[in-house]
Amino acid sequence: MGPLSNLNSYYWTYRRLFVPGLLCAIASSVFAIIVPGVVRQAVDVIPQMVATYRSFAGTPAAGHIRWFHLQSLIGSGLLILLLSVFSGVFSFLMRQTVVVASRHIEFDLRNRLYEHIQTLSHGFYVRHTTGDLITRSTSDIEQVRRYIGPALMYATRAIVTIVTAITAMFIISPRLTAFALIPMPFLALSVFFLARMVNHRSDALQEQYSRLTSRVQETLSGIRVLKAYAREEAEQDVFEAESAKYRAKSLGLAFVEAAWHPVFVIIVGLSTIIVVWEGGRQVVAGTITLGNIAEYIIYVALMTWPVAAFGYVISMVQRASASMARLQAIFDAKADVADREVTDPSVRSVEGSITFENVTFRYEADRDPVLDAVSFSAPAGSTVGIVGRTGSGKSTLVEMIPRLLEPDSGRVLVDSRDVRTIPLDTLRTAIGYVPQEVFLFSDSIAGNIAFGRMDAPLEDVRKAAEEADLLSNVDEFKDGFETLVGERGITLSGGQKQRTAIARALVREPRILILDDSLSAVDTSTERTILGHLRTHFGKRTIVIVSHRISAVQDADQIVVLDEGRVAELGSHDVLLKRDGLYASMYRKQLLEEEFAALA
Amino acid sequence: MSTEDTTPKGFDGRLFRRIVAHLVPYRRWVALAFVTVMIAAYLGPLRPKLVQVAIDRDIAAGDLEGLFSMVLLMVLVLAGESVLSFVNEYLTQWIGQRAIFDLRARVHRHLMRQPLSFFNRTPIGRLITRVTSDVESLSQVLSAGVITIIGDLMRILFIAWFMFTLNWTLALVTIVVMPLMLWATFWFKGKVEGAYRDTRKQVARLNSFLQEHVTGMRVVQMFNREREELRRFREINDDHRQAHIRTIFYFALFFPAVDIIGSTAVALVIWFGGMRAMDGAVSLGVLIAFIQYARQFFEPIRNLSDQFNVLQSGMAGAERIFALLDKDEAMPEPENPVDLGRPRGEIEFRDVWFAYTPPKTGATEMAVLDNAAPESPEPDWVLRGVSFRASPGQSVAIVGATGAGKSTIINLLLRFYDIQKGSILVDGIDIRDLRLHDLRRHVGLVLQDVFLFSGSVEDNISLSNPAITPDRVRNAAREIGADRFIQRLRDGYAQDVRERGVTLSHGQRQLLSFARALAYDPGILVLDEATSSVDTETEHVIQEALVRLLEGRTSIVIAHRLSTIQHAHQILVMHRGEVRESGTHQELLAAGGMYRRLYELQYREQEAAA
Repeated sequence: MGPLSNLNSYYWTYRRLFVPGLLCAIASSVFAIIVPGVVRQAVDVIPQMVATYRSFAGTPAAGHIRWFHLQSLIGSGLLILLLSVFSGVFSFLMRQTVVVASRHIEFDLRNRLYEHIQTLSHGFYVRHTTGDLITRSTSDIEQVRRYIGPALMYATRAIVTIVTAITAMFIISPRLTAFALIPMPFLALSVFFLARMVNHRSDALQEQYSRLTSRVQETLSGIRVLKAYAREEAEQDVFEAESAKYRAKSLGLAFVEAAWHPVFVIIVGLSTIIVVWEGGRQVVAGTITLGNIAEYIIYVALMTWPVAAFGYVISMVQRASASMARLQAIFDAKADVADREVTDPSVRSVEGSITFENVTFRYEADRDPVLDAVSFSAPAGSTVGIVGRTGSGKSTLVEMIPRLLEPDSGRVLVDSRDVRTIPLDTLRTAIGYVPQEVFLFSDSIAGNIAFGRMDAPLEDVRKAAEEADLLSNVDEFKDGFETLVGERGITLSGGQKQRTAIARALVREPRILILDDSLSAVDTSTERTILGHLRTHFGKRTIVIVSHRISAVQDADQIVVLDEGRVAELGSHDVLLKRDGLYASMYRKQLLEEEFAALA
Repeated sequence: MSTEDTTPKGFDGRLFRRIVAHLVPYRRWVALAFVTVMIAAYLGPLRPKLVQVAIDRDIAAGDLEGLFSMVLLMVLVLAGESVLSFVNEYLTQWIGQRAIFDLRARVHRHLMRQPLSFFNRTPIGRLITRVTSDVESLSQVLSAGVITIIGDLMRILFIAWFMFTLNWTLALVTIVVMPLMLWATFWFKGKVEGAYRDTRKQVARLNSFLQEHVTGMRVVQMFNREREELRRFREINDDHRQAHIRTIFYFALFFPAVDIIGSTAVALVIWFGGMRAMDGAVSLGVLIAFIQYARQFFEPIRNLSDQFNVLQSGMAGAERIFALLDKDEAMPEPENPVDLGRPRGEIEFRDVWFAYTPPKTGATEMAVLDNAAPESPEPDWVLRGVSFRASPGQSVAIVGATGAGKSTIINLLLRFYDIQKGSILVDGIDIRDLRLHDLRRHVGLVLQDVFLFSGSVEDNISLSNPAITPDRVRNAAREIGADRFIQRLRDGYAQDVRERGVTLSHGQRQLLSFARALAYDPGILVLDEATSSVDTETEHVIQEALVRLLEGRTSIVIAHRLSTIQHAHQILVMHRGEVRESGTHQELLAAGGMYRRLYELQYREQEAAA
């Protein structure tokens, strides 16, 4: 059971559903198991009645006997009906409690999982892909749920049915019972093994299906290259090979599934035949009645599913256990970026000065550092530009300020305090961050902007949009700010996305604004407009601008030039131009490109 | 046509025949499956009949030998039924999977044939669905669908037949519950289908919320939205739970209902049979047989209602697949193609006019042009009468601003699109007279954005072409100068390029695509030079690799670097779809036009750098 014992507290929480539910399960099985006895009685009564009726044939008593017989038959029939109605009602109540409870627990478990992953930081998301996390919070939780609800329910019913049926059968004839039950353990065993094989094979099939899907996905994404190199035929062959593997795996699964039905038929059929053979001999010997045979046939039919359920339940428990272990692994992951003992809860606001002290950082221990002893200091209200080639560490550097990443050595200070001593909530509330890769949610434009500040009234949203030079675009949309973006809405252009993300950061009215190459997809004139708007806040807000384009940073109070993780140059635009180093060369190159473009 | 798509989905005979036509190659096996399913459908209901005979004839008479032979017969029948039902189930899957494989290959082949313009306007996701899940939805129709439906119908018929031959009045009484059973089943199916639709919707909502929030988690955290997003998640999760709880309700109702209806049949049999027994018309054996038949009856009915759904969803998938297959936009291959051996490498554009949006149709999906005016009757010409000629071995550099039509020239030479006016010649042959495959085999393409396929470095260079041996791959990589960084990868040439943690830099990707082009050894090379700056070391390697690559080949390069431009035999200055200036570096400088102005700017930079 191992990991599944973690779920015990949930049973306790929902005891008000589980206890009556399981009682219903017992009641439902007991009522169902009485039915064969009634059938037997009716069947046994019939020949006696027929014999009595015949012996009185022609006499006036015959009419009475016929009437009495009719009554007793109707009585048996109604009893059978009544018993199955009772059994049905309890089975209804059982599902409405136990299965419903399992859905409640599923709900709780999934909320807990989501709440937990919200606290985990960058490192965790590097180790776990999105697909992996979705699988855990959907199908793994579903496996666990099946264990919580259906498996428990089946097991209870199976035990009650089997125990009562076997008892009733034993009382009639221990010998016949022993014979009739011979095939049953084989049923449980084969169901267990078949279910396990089906699970393994359908997992393998699923895996091959995803491979096939991603192959197609890739082929279609790279269709230009394939066509250019005339590789369509070859790709067709590769696809057909994958498709053939899929077919083979499908047939592997089909083979096991095709065995299900025959296994049931043969095992249950054998039980029936044994009942007829051995029971027939006993009827001839006079130890049991024909009614008992009818009764046994129904018992065997009634026991089929519970016995099969045993095998099934065991495989369910196995799967659930594996799934629960996977979930537990997530629950056990500790939030590495969080408030700790060093955090000073009395810090409630941030002024905005930023200092890097010898900050060094590696993504992986055996790799070259991405940041190598970076130091600089920006007073509150000043503007810092950060430039450098791709891969020089610009994004890594700014991600340290809101503690999305933490330095391996050295310190990042805000307001001359180590950021680790500022409560995370306070720190991040003070920062407006526009990431390099813009991520918007499938929500309205207003919703996406107000993501930055939940209580922001529409006028603030408008103002932020205006500052981000987005307002004119939004007004052109039919639904204005209510226009949906993403899958179910419109597709924004790269520049519109960036500007929405900027508005999202601005609506926070942050003390520190970080733009991580956030103007790359807008043209230079829009860039100028936005920077102009930002400038109105000069002095009130610390601004960190990462950019490829010199034009975005040239007015900054100081510019940090990064080269392979180190601060290569530091100073204002004019100072750096005079130095005639890396920065000056980048500047000239870009001037050239601009003129090149202007020619057209 | 399009109005037909919106008509409600009923049973479409023509569509169904078209689906079933895929089984034609396997008709012998289908026939065999029919035979097996019929026999199994007969053997199942035969068993209660045998039990009846055993009871009434043998047990009643105390004939143990007779009983023994009946039991033996029952075992045989049982074995026969089991084997046949296994054979039948596997066989139908086998047939279905084969037919599905054929269909999937056909859809894929169809896609491979479509021109780039098709891919530009069709979302990839939709195409993936066609090849995967739509085809999958047909698999049940093709495998089990038809055969199983007939098997189940036959089973119902055989059960009825056995009941009627045993005792027709009792049979009628038992069948009385049939309509009730049918009604309950289809009522349940209807309700559950609706509830399932709702659940599926909720599952999809849950998944897309998770997808979005896991992907955007750092944004959530950065903006301290954890509490609010948890609240939203709970809401969606709660809707998901409620949808499931509704489904539970129907199931909780359905299972007991089926039991009760079954028991009603048994009660009726006992009551009515018992009365008939008085008249000697019904024996105990018959009664026991009927009790079994009353239970057996339900299974095929339930299966049928399942199959009905399978058929419906299969038809919907089939419709989408056939709609795709019926519209073939593949470029016409010439009827009498001219053979192109290894080309000398002469390229000529003769007064080429081209628009991505063809002149007649008002297609609006194309988003290739920045200044597209959708309502103008005149097509948005991207190239307006472009003419130039490159002799074998010459290199042509194209310069110009974004949108001037530089990439279009490359696209057209590879015949990704067909031109509207003029002609494009390779070795003096119009490219429309060449087999696409021939043309593209001899024209190597290197793009700015390098697309890497999952798989090893080696596969990415050879594109899994067996004609490109590992030696050739290594030679190409060595010549290009990619060998050094490949050797440093953990698994060298076998390194999976998409494995997490192995992110190749832009420059390294560029080198791989150079190596790819070199390994294919094309007579003509077209290249879109990368604009973005890469680290100094790689930049140097790339410059050298470029020289290697262009050596001895006719080449067309969209150039961004001065060195490349200067060494070209011919420079085309493109502006708004026209060739404004052309000539050698010296000639253009002397002409004193656009190029000269460009050059002067560049020169200033170089002087400054020195």
